Amino acid sequence: MTRLLRICAATYLAAACVGVCAAQDLHIPESPAAGQEISISTSGSGKATFYLTGPGVSRKNDVPLGEDIHLAAQDLRNAGHYVAILCSDTCKSASFYVSAAKPLSLTFLVHPSRVPVALHDAISGVAFPFDQYHNLVLAPVNVNFQLNAKEASLFSRAVRTKNGVAWFRTPSGKSAGPLQVTAALDDVTARRAVQQVASDPCNLRITGQRTKTGILVQTEPVHDCAGNVLPDGTIVTFTATGPHGKGTVDAPIKQGVARAQMDSTGVAVISAASGVVMGNEIRVEARP
Amino acid sequence: MSRTVKRADYFHLFAVAGILFLASSLNSYAADAAVQVQLDVNKAGPRAVESLTERGILRDYRFAWSSMAQALQFNTLDSLEGPFSGQARQWLRQTVTSQQQSGLSRRYSDQSHHLEAVFYAPEGDVIELHDTAQYHLQILDGDKTILDENVVVHYVVLMTPGADRWTIRQLQAVPQF
Repeated sequence: MTRLLRICAATYLAAACVGVCAAQDLHIPESPAAGQEISISTSGSGKATFYLTGPGVSRKNDVPLGEDIHLAAQDLRNAGHYVAILCSDTCKSASFYVSAAKPLSLTFLVHPSRVPVALHDAISGVAFPFDQYHNLVLAPVNVNFQLNAKEASLFSRAVRTKNGVAWFRTPSGKSAGPLQVTAALDDVTARRAVQQVASDPCNLRITGQRTKTGILVQTEPVHDCAGNVLPDGTIVTFTATGPHGKGTVDAPIKQGVARAQMDSTGVAVISAASGVVMGNEIRVEARP
Repeated sequence: MSRTVKRADYFHLFAVAGILFLASSLNSYAADAAVQVQLDVNKAGPRAVESLTERGILRDYRFAWSSMAQALQFNTLDSLEGPFSGQARQWLRQTVTSQQQSGLSRRYSDQSHHLEAVFYAPEGDVIELHDTAQYHLQILDGDKTILDENVVVHYVVLMTPGADRWTIRQLQAVPQF
């Protein structure tokens, strides 16, 4: 009988010990930021296996229950969803989120890189703030957008990020030349350049004269309506219509003027066009 | 006789290759089909999302998740190359490498994603999506399952268009939108 009681007591104690040993639990600090060191407190006694899984991390190590588990900054660099698991006889888990740290860089997209002057809603920019670990910062912050041409400020606006993004859209300026586009957030600045070029030509005028080999036609200096010289490479199309039919020559503008040599011996009516803009017509008499 | 044998060999070779190709196609289709994705573009702006773009995003997002699930289950990097870029690809690679070292793996099944486009850049070069994802998550240490639960996770996603597909550049889980 005594022996039976001893066996029962031993069994009870063993069961109680297993109960205590299995009663592990873990407590995680609320919302740590990326790159922050944290300690996870555990309860229970004995040994357990600790697992941490999350974006970029998958860690496994043995830990003594009842002591804190230290997570280094390296373990929590990526913002996102983490799961901490503690296993002895059974497994207990807790999930938590790591948020982005403070912004340290801006991804700044500006379009286009080359734009005609005086065009409505022609320039747009989008800025995303990121922390030092390249996590998108979702907490609202103010981004200051600025557009400067030479010394003049064309546009300045502070935009608060929503869902981690701030953006603007604005017309292009009136003068051809480089435009500096800046997005700034505290000490962080991102700069982009946009080249403003002349718009469509205004008053496209041509002159022509007969030469030994045909007709030499050329434009007067080509400007847009704001007086900006059209950039080199802009194509002017000359069309000559004569008794033998029609001929067309494309010529690029070089230093404001486009020139072309056309083959024609008879009377010719010559016109010019650039993009959607038509120029004047001239009549060149036949070779004497 | 020799010619007959060669022909038979070729036939078997082509038959085996065909079966392997079919099996791999069916397998990737099955993995892809297991990922349910819905996309709501009504709140996207400032640029409107055209239907062709919408279909492309749906197709590529679904493929990205099936590729990610495959990479994290089998601890291989190959499937991450196409559908991910930038930071998303980097942390997924880190995850796979880390899992290879620790002997862990993750299994995502019964995936359902409700996507909402919240920002589409004026020039169409980046789109931000909010994904309310539901899936069955298992974490395994070797063959031993250490976590087995249904979860709902909210993801903020940045996708950019490439030459022939949309890629995920940022995939960041958040407690709520």
